[in-house]
Amino acid sequence: MMRNSLSKFGQAIKLPGLSFGLAFTLTGFIIAFSDSKVLSKIGSPLEFIKSAGATAGNAYLALFQGSIFDINLTKSHNFFQGFYPLSETIVIATPLILTGLSVALAFKSGLFNIGAQGQFIFGAIGASYVGFHFHLPLVIHVIAAALAGMALASIWGGAVGLLKAKTGAHEVILTIMMNYIAGYFILWTLKTSQFLRPGRIDPIAPEVNQSARLPLLAGANLRIHAGIFIALAAALFVWWLLTKTTIGYKFRAVGANGQAAKTAGISVPFVLTATMAICGALAGLGGAVQVLGSEHALNADIAGSFGFDAITVALLGRAQPLGTVFAALLFGALHAGGRTMQSNTGVPLDIVLVTQALIVLFIAAPTFVRFIFRLKKLNSSAGLTSKGWNG
Amino acid sequence: MKKPLKLMAVVASLTLITGVAVAPASQAAGKVKLCLALDTGGVDDRSFNEGAWKGAQASLVSNAEYLPATSSADFAPNIKKFVDKGCELIVGVGFAISAEIVKSAKANPKIKYAVVDDAGQDCDANWNCKDVPNVKGLTFQTDEAAFMAGYLAAGMSKTGKVATYGGAPYPTVTIFMDGFARGVAHYNKLKGKSVQVLGWDPANPKSGTFVGNFSDQAKALTISKGFEQQGADIILPVGGILGASYAAESEKSKKSLTIWVDSDAYNTLTAGKSIILSTVVKEIGASIKSVAKDVADKKFTASKYVGTLKNKGVSLAPYHDLSGQVPGTLKNEIRAIRDSIIAGKLKVN
Repeated sequence: MMRNSLSKFGQAIKLPGLSFGLAFTLTGFIIAFSDSKVLSKIGSPLEFIKSAGATAGNAYLALFQGSIFDINLTKSHNFFQGFYPLSETIVIATPLILTGLSVALAFKSGLFNIGAQGQFIFGAIGASYVGFHFHLPLVIHVIAAALAGMALASIWGGAVGLLKAKTGAHEVILTIMMNYIAGYFILWTLKTSQFLRPGRIDPIAPEVNQSARLPLLAGANLRIHAGIFIALAAALFVWWLLTKTTIGYKFRAVGANGQAAKTAGISVPFVLTATMAICGALAGLGGAVQVLGSEHALNADIAGSFGFDAITVALLGRAQPLGTVFAALLFGALHAGGRTMQSNTGVPLDIVLVTQALIVLFIAAPTFVRFIFRLKKLNSSAGLTSKGWNG
Repeated sequence: MKKPLKLMAVVASLTLITGVAVAPASQAAGKVKLCLALDTGGVDDRSFNEGAWKGAQASLVSNAEYLPATSSADFAPNIKKFVDKGCELIVGVGFAISAEIVKSAKANPKIKYAVVDDAGQDCDANWNCKDVPNVKGLTFQTDEAAFMAGYLAAGMSKTGKVATYGGAPYPTVTIFMDGFARGVAHYNKLKGKSVQVLGWDPANPKSGTFVGNFSDQAKALTISKGFEQQGADIILPVGGILGASYAAESEKSKKSLTIWVDSDAYNTLTAGKSIILSTVVKEIGASIKSVAKDVADKKFTASKYVGTLKNKGVSLAPYHDLSGQVPGTLKNEIRAIRDSIIAGKLKVN
């Protein structure tokens, strides 16, 4: 039994693991070969390899220092502060887990949710407004703000499901277009007198009240906040919903085969709308957590690329809740570490994007990975049951 | 399954070992460690970030490095990274980053800070602001140079109409447009003409024309063409790279000339050079160089740096290819205007 589940686990992480390793190896080469110091030694092979290895090695060492643990910080501050990079990784991963879950859950129902970006924005707007406009008691304020964000985003997401169910419009087009609407909506919102911070004319809202902020977990010097528990709880919720409830069963049934599910008496319109509403709420919670946890004020690019990275994260996590959590942590680490890599070794932050892109590329092309590693079979479809364009 | 994994582990550990073995390059002694926390848009934006970074690199008294921001969420951790690295002078590029710079400055009184395009003050919710002793604001009286540009445009316009528009209604943008409009008005007063300014009226800022961001070149092109149709033959787009498509298009159509902003477009643009009448130059790089020198000489103060025509923090760039078309008398008048602004005899605001 134990052995069986272990090998199942091995199967599940085989493709992401190999893709990850391959992407890192390739990025190492790119880092080495784009360095003029390395290229100048091309005359002598031994020196060249040594220099290339050192350049790539230093870059990855800096990546580690910037994302997990930095010994230099323990010397200048204290041992605890050495984990500042890990705290940064988790701060970035927290909203990413939530948007990733949003995309992953949609995958399970056979939907491509490209709209996490827009849903994130509405979550952030709702949370910000309740956060700075009202004065509520301590714990209640955070919950109210987060719920407001989730509610707004849930309507925004649910509308996609409803439109698809009633009119047959494709959710990919709907969500992409609604991302644009959300992007301009936040620009407009931040210009209104309700949201504009007094004394400022650039698009930034007032900071949310102290009572609406998520508590810091490790003192004022580290930014890690309680949002990570919310994200983990959401992952647990998605797992429970999908595997332990009737609704989750219906979601998966529609994802596997909509026609069959319909014949079996499942209301497909209900499933589509409910899925997208929950997806919206998840991504919206991501936006709320970003505002209430780390940024504290709404601004025009609050969403960064959290909604788009979510697609990659869900793919890498194979649309599984646990996988999504790990994938989001990995992306958080890459982003946080990229900063140190650029600062300490001069390797541009953009190389992190290259790594991310390569990981996706390899996951999307399992045949290639199988060919490289001479594997007989590589179960690539398990976990991703989206039916693509004609769904 | 096993073999490739093993191979990968070996490769990974080898790179790590070689990596650890080589110590990072040590820092040259005696120089100020200057760190730039950039705004979003990347280091090669041909405007703001690029100007700041070039200036920092040109500084002889410092070792410079920068961190780009992918979104505003990067501002705080980027500054924190510089604090942990032991930077002696941290420069925030752009007023959007100002609040984070001030926050960090209050927590680290021993480090010197500067912020481009903002006074770098500590403001409370009611907008009562006070200076922070280790933050220097780097601001620019760009309206002085824009005033000259306005006079130039009015003198060069054949149709009697000139135009300006901005990326977004930020004070750092509208100050260009104010100066430009007042320069035109000054020309009208002296010459008894009535050259019109489209797109901006200092008395009625709400009616101003704006793109809404600093990246949508297509929309900027549409706005420019609209002004051309209304008869404007000289246009000043205020927003870094915004005007690039328009300049390239206008080079072919010959319908209008462009005046650029920030850094001399003749040196940075690839297409559209021949219709660049001049540039309202804002020397962000020079301001950073100057504050780096202050830190090196231990003369840093929190008193604001204000770039003016007098200290060459702002200027009107040469006419380059179009120099032949600008009448000698107009050139002399513009030179005289510059001198009287510097001497304090002519007020532009």
